Amino acid sequence: MPPDVAAQLARLRADYLTRLPGELAALRDLADRLAVGDLDRAGIGELHHRLHKLAGSGGTFGLAGLSARARALEVRAKDWLQAPAPDAATRAAFAAEVGALAAGAGEAAAASPVPAWSPSPTRPHERAAQVWLVEDDPLLGRGLKRQLESFNYQVRLFPCLADAEQVARDACPDLMILDVTLNEEGEDADTRLALLPRLRALHCSLLFISTVNDFHARVRAAQLGALGYFLKPLDVPRLVNRMEQIRNQQRAAPQRVLIVDDDRDLAEHYRLVLLGAGMEAEVLDQPEAIVERISVFRPELVLMDLHMPAFSGPDLAGVIRQHDKWTGLPIVYLSAETDLELQVAALNRGADDFLIKPLSDAQLVSAVRARVGRARQLDELVSKDSLTGLLKHASIKEAAEAETARARRIGKPVTLAMLDIDHFKTVNDSYGHAAGDLVISSLAVLLRQRLRKSDVIGRYGGEEFVAVLPECDAAHAQALLDDIRQRFAALRFSHEGREFGRTLSVGLACSAHHPDATGAELLIAADEALYAAKRGGRDQVRAAPAPTLLTP
Amino acid sequence: MGTLQRILYVEDEPDIQAVARLALELVGGFTVKICSSGEEALREAAAFAPDLILLDVMMPGMDGPSTLKALRGQATLAEVPVAFMTAKVQPPEVAHYKALGARDVIAKPFDPMKLADQIRAIWNG
Repeated sequence: MPPDVAAQLARLRADYLTRLPGELAALRDLADRLAVGDLDRAGIGELHHRLHKLAGSGGTFGLAGLSARARALEVRAKDWLQAPAPDAATRAAFAAEVGALAAGAGEAAAASPVPAWSPSPTRPHERAAQVWLVEDDPLLGRGLKRQLESFNYQVRLFPCLADAEQVARDACPDLMILDVTLNEEGEDADTRLALLPRLRALHCSLLFISTVNDFHARVRAAQLGALGYFLKPLDVPRLVNRMEQIRNQQRAAPQRVLIVDDDRDLAEHYRLVLLGAGMEAEVLDQPEAIVERISVFRPELVLMDLHMPAFSGPDLAGVIRQHDKWTGLPIVYLSAETDLELQVAALNRGADDFLIKPLSDAQLVSAVRARVGRARQLDELVSKDSLTGLLKHASIKEAAEAETARARRIGKPVTLAMLDIDHFKTVNDSYGHAAGDLVISSLAVLLRQRLRKSDVIGRYGGEEFVAVLPECDAAHAQALLDDIRQRFAALRFSHEGREFGRTLSVGLACSAHHPDATGAELLIAADEALYAAKRGGRDQVRAAPAPTLLTP
Repeated sequence: MGTLQRILYVEDEPDIQAVARLALELVGGFTVKICSSGEEALREAAAFAPDLILLDVMMPGMDGPSTLKALRGQATLAEVPVAFMTAKVQPPEVAHYKALGARDVIAKPFDPMKLADQIRAIWNG
C-alpha cells in the first residue's frame, strides 16, 4: 500500500474513532427511551437508521465486530417500524444490547490494530503496552524499567502503592507489576493492595515480584489475582515471556460463533449469553443462506440444533463439509437427544460434539470457549514453531518468496534478514537446554516487539531466525536490526545465580540490490552476509553487497 | 464501453465519504465527485457527466432507489450504469435493486483497499 494511503486511512480511522463515542451515546439515549416506552414511531425510525449507519461504517474502519452486532440489532429494529410496539421485556433486552454495543466498541477501538494499515518501517506497529511498576527500591525499579522498555513496554514507575492508587483515578495500565516485599506504613504491599479500591477496580493483569518463596505468600498472591510470581534476583527474560503471554491473551480476537436453531427465542438467548461472555455470535435465520453466512461471518464454531423442521442439523453439516476450507470447522450439536444411535449417525456426518439440552449458560460458554480455544491451538501448531510462536522453516520460506514477488510487482523493496545467536551452543552446554530455550524465546519476543505487524518472522533453524521486511529498504533495515542487535546484547540471563548474555549476528539482503533474485536467492545472499558478519567478529549487522556488474 | 474514469458517489455520511474518496481517487485512480444527498446529485450529476454512479441506499430525504429513478429521468444520465451501496445485502434484496435498474450492489462495510477493484469488476461485468 502506498504510504500516503496508509497514513490517510489511519487518520480517517482515528477521526471515526473520535466521533464514535458520541454516536454510540446518541444510540444509547434512544435505546434507553425505547426501554421506558418513551419512543414514538419516528424515534424508532431514527434508532433504526443510526444502527444501519453503524452497521455500514464500522467494518470499513476496522471494527467488523461492531458492524455485525449493529446489523443484528438493525434487523430487529426494522421489524418494529411496521409492527405494533414490542413488549417491555423485549424493549429492555434490546436497550441492554445497544448499551453492550458501546462497551464492546470501546474495547475494540483500543485493542484492534488494523493489520493492513502499516505505518513507516521505523516504528513498531502496535501501541506499546502500558505497564505500571510499583517498586520502592529505586535502583531495582529504574533497572527493570529500562529493561522492559527495551522490549517496547511503556513503563511508569511508582515508589509506592498510594501513588498508583492516585493515578488509577483516570488511567489504567495493561499490566501491573508489584513488588510485594515493599512496606508502606507498616503494612505489606499485598495487604495494602487489598485495601485500595481504585487499584482493585482496574482489574488489570497483575504480576508479583518478591523475595519470599513460601507457599502462603504464593496462595495470597493467587487470591489477589496475580498471574505470575517472580523471585528476586529477577530473571527479566522469563518475566517478559510471561508478560508477552498475557498480552497475547488480551489481544486475542473475540471468538466467533454461528448459531443455527429454529427456535428463535432460544437462539437469541444463546446469542446474548455468548455476547455477554465477550464473544461474537450471530443467529442464522435462513438455513439456505448458511454458505454465504459462513463466508462472510467466518465463524470459528457452529452451534447447531439437531432437529429442525426444514433441514436437519446433519444435512446442514453435510453442506458445510462439502467445502474444503471448512472441513475443520468445529460443528457442535445442541440436542435434547439422548438417543445414542442418532448421535452416532450425526457424528458420522461431520459433527464434532454434542451438548445436551437443557444446558446452563455457564456450561454453554465454557463448552464453546474450550472448543474454539482448542481449534485455535491446533491451527497454531500446524504453522507455528512451538517454542517461539514464530513461523516454521517452510512457512517463512514461502513468505520470503511471496513478499519478494510482491515487491517486484509493486516496485517497492523488500529486505530479508537472517539472524543467528552468537556462540549459542555454549549456552546449552554450560547452562542446560532450558536456559537455551529461554534465550531463543527472548529473541523471538524482542523481534515481535520491535518489528511491524506486517513483517513476517520465522525460526529458520535451531538458533537461526529470518525476518521478511516488506516495503523496507536496506538502510532502514540496517538501522532496525542494529537496534535489535544492541537490545539483545544488553539482555542479562541468569541461571542458578550465574549471569550471562549473548550477542547477535545479522545478514541482510535487499531486493533493490538484487532486482532479479527470487526469494530463495535473496535468502542465500542474506545467509552469505550473515557469514560475513560472523567472520568479521560477530555482534554486527552486514548487508549483502550489490552484485558487481561484469564488464565485457 | 469506454474506460471507467469518472465516478459520482452519493452518500450522506461524511466519514464514509472521506474514506470512499481515498479508496476511489488514491487507490483506484478515478476522478470522483461526491454529493451528500439525492437532491444534490440531481442538480450536479449531468454537469459532471459520470461514467458510473454509486448510490447509498438509505439516505435522509431522497433515498437511493428514488434518486436512481429521478436520475433516469434526465436524458444524459438515462444510460449511465448505477451501483447501490448498502449495509443489507440478502440475495432477495440484490434481486430487488437489480430490478430497479442497478447494475449491481456493493456491500457495506466495504474494504477501502478493495473498493476500486470491486467497482472495476462491476464495470467490466
